[in-house]
Amino acid sequence: MPGWQDFQPFIVSGLALGGVYALSGVGTVVLYQATGVVYLAFGAVGAMGALIAWSVTNAGDPQWLAWLACVLFSGAMTLGYGMLFGPPLARRGPLVKAVATLGLTLVLFGLMDLVWTSNGGASRAITLPTDNGGFLVGQIQVDWTQVIGLAAGIVIVAVTAAFLRYTKLGTAMRAMANDREITATLGVPVRRVEAAAWLGCGVLAGVAGLLLADLVALDATTLTFLVISSLAAALMARLSSIWLTFAAALLIGLVHDLLTPIQALSNYRDMTPFVLAAVALLVLSRHRVISLQREET
Amino acid sequence: MLRMHALRARPVLAFAIAAGLAAAAGCGSSNNSGTSGAGSPAASSGSGSQVNTSQCGTKPGVKATGTPIPLGGIVTNQPGTSFTDIANMAAAYFACVNANGGINGHPIKYAIQTEQTKPDQIAAESKQLVQSDHVVGIVGNTSILECTIDHSFWEQQGFYIVDSGIAPECWSTPNSAAVNMGPRYSSDGAVQYAISQHVSKIVFDQSNVPGTGYIAAGPVALAKAANVPIVQLTENVPINDANSVAIKEVDDAGPNGAVILNFTPPEALVILQAAQKLGLENRVKLWGCSTPCNTDFLAHALGPKWNHKLFVNAELTPPDGTNTPSMNLYKAILAQYGKKVSGGVGSFSQMGFAEAKIMVHALQTIKGGYTVKSVNAALKAVKDFDTGMLCKPWTYGSYPMHIPNNEDYTVTPDNGKMITAQGCTPISANDPQIAAYRKLAG
Repeated sequence: MPGWQDFQPFIVSGLALGGVYALSGVGTVVLYQATGVVYLAFGAVGAMGALIAWSVTNAGDPQWLAWLACVLFSGAMTLGYGMLFGPPLARRGPLVKAVATLGLTLVLFGLMDLVWTSNGGASRAITLPTDNGGFLVGQIQVDWTQVIGLAAGIVIVAVTAAFLRYTKLGTAMRAMANDREITATLGVPVRRVEAAAWLGCGVLAGVAGLLLADLVALDATTLTFLVISSLAAALMARLSSIWLTFAAALLIGLVHDLLTPIQALSNYRDMTPFVLAAVALLVLSRHRVISLQREET
Repeated sequence: MLRMHALRARPVLAFAIAAGLAAAAGCGSSNNSGTSGAGSPAASSGSGSQVNTSQCGTKPGVKATGTPIPLGGIVTNQPGTSFTDIANMAAAYFACVNANGGINGHPIKYAIQTEQTKPDQIAAESKQLVQSDHVVGIVGNTSILECTIDHSFWEQQGFYIVDSGIAPECWSTPNSAAVNMGPRYSSDGAVQYAISQHVSKIVFDQSNVPGTGYIAAGPVALAKAANVPIVQLTENVPINDANSVAIKEVDDAGPNGAVILNFTPPEALVILQAAQKLGLENRVKLWGCSTPCNTDFLAHALGPKWNHKLFVNAELTPPDGTNTPSMNLYKAILAQYGKKVSGGVGSFSQMGFAEAKIMVHALQTIKGGYTVKSVNAALKAVKDFDTGMLCKPWTYGSYPMHIPNNEDYTVTPDNGKMITAQGCTPISANDPQIAAYRKLAG
């Protein structure tokens, strides 16, 4: 069994990984809170945005333009999907809505594979100016991008929670996620509120895509399916609490990385999100506190 | 540069391998076949275009109009893993030959089958090539599973395959001879270089895919022979916790140790970038990598901090700075006929060129008709042939196993380019498979 000294660097890396899961997981919960849709394309949209940003940078254009392109694409794609498929699927159950976003995921994944092929050994990377500075924690260098990633999670959680709780639009989103038809009968402009939720989620996906491309990898597959691990954090938080999602993501990251130096468990550490989510679901279902089922009309 | 890793689940496999073959993998998907013969010439460009491509044939400028010689190849082409560049480059070479006299006036008709890592599909395609397309030779095969699935079939049918190997059977069976070394021997080369730099310990980390034991057996044998401790690690791919992977590697290797990676370029890149961000790149004596890392993509993405710090095994002659007739012809054919070769200059297209050149050479030695018997006898008889892409001449021969490419280069990043750090060096015979082959081949 490794000693405390051996575990220390993995606490730092675990928090960084937890921050990565949090960024993605929080975005998923935000949209679920606002629209009732588990948006499985969150990762794919961000990945494609990041690849577009890479192409823009590679073409010699300034970095700010690349970042803007990433966020604009992600926002537009998510808004477009929401406007096109949101209304027809509004009356369907959450499972159907989630699977529909899986369709978008696969379409985007295929597109990325075609356009940004890795044939011939292509390997791409996005670097942000914040990669170049940082500070030492023990023997481990922590760069500002990692700090921003973690801070962005906290800021997004705080801002979103406040937005949903204290603003008129946020209240409308929550009401609509709860019951679209009743909300509409109360005079809430459903389409506009939905559009705002989808757009906000898309922008978040773009920002997360950029950060994750730097923190994890600029790889379509990795970023697309990172959302699955992040979903574990969202499930642990019952898809209802943004703060709990954030905490669960950090817990997953920490446990995952702290298993790394333990030889016997190291190869199984990727199971961490799913094992923790399964345990959480078992415990929560035992206490009947989770409710994913909605009325199917 | 090529190598391959086989995969455990198809999607994952795609990654690992994808990368594997060299640096490598791509996309697209179709289980249909494509037929290439004389592809339409693309616009010439690049340094190679200064060379006259007509020297690829025996009658410059004279289009071959005789009875076609049917050849075939099977390549993996699925989302995340595409080896079509190899077969497409072979097709480009054949197109050049066809436009310049063909083989004694006969054009080559090359049928490319693509597969999606489905054993039944691969078996069906090989039968289709033989029974429906009536091919007389197989060249350019590059598939995650093809050697495993088809080697018995080729042996029964009397075909001697020239391929770019991935599965172990591409090197360990009598009817397959590859132009590349594959993941095991390429990892051997990387470990061998580290040992030559007097490292005190080696950490060998690779994708957690089927065949890791087979691949690791080579590096372990080399380290053992040199009395250097070796730690074996495997990582699930795609890697999303590169920080912890890099920390573990460095901790295990120690300050005078070496970390050797056997991953696809994207996976290797995330590990190396994580190491750099964590300030770990100088915490070991050197970093090494098997062939897939040998791409300018990687060197460019890593940046100057890795100059002469990372050492990568290279199975094929570095195209940059090599001014030989074969290398120039390769670039010229690629520019003129290689419109479908999406990766351009690189190990995949180099392999396709080498395989096609071997096939054309074999065909040109045939007196009489082009049949399965005559073509495969000619292939088997290829001896000490200069492909222009490998360290030493290539031989097929009548052996129960074939590792004809067993000398390699070592390259290192240098401001966004890979440059040669060590010239041709034989892979150590401390790997028992290499020893066995050299004993057979003499």
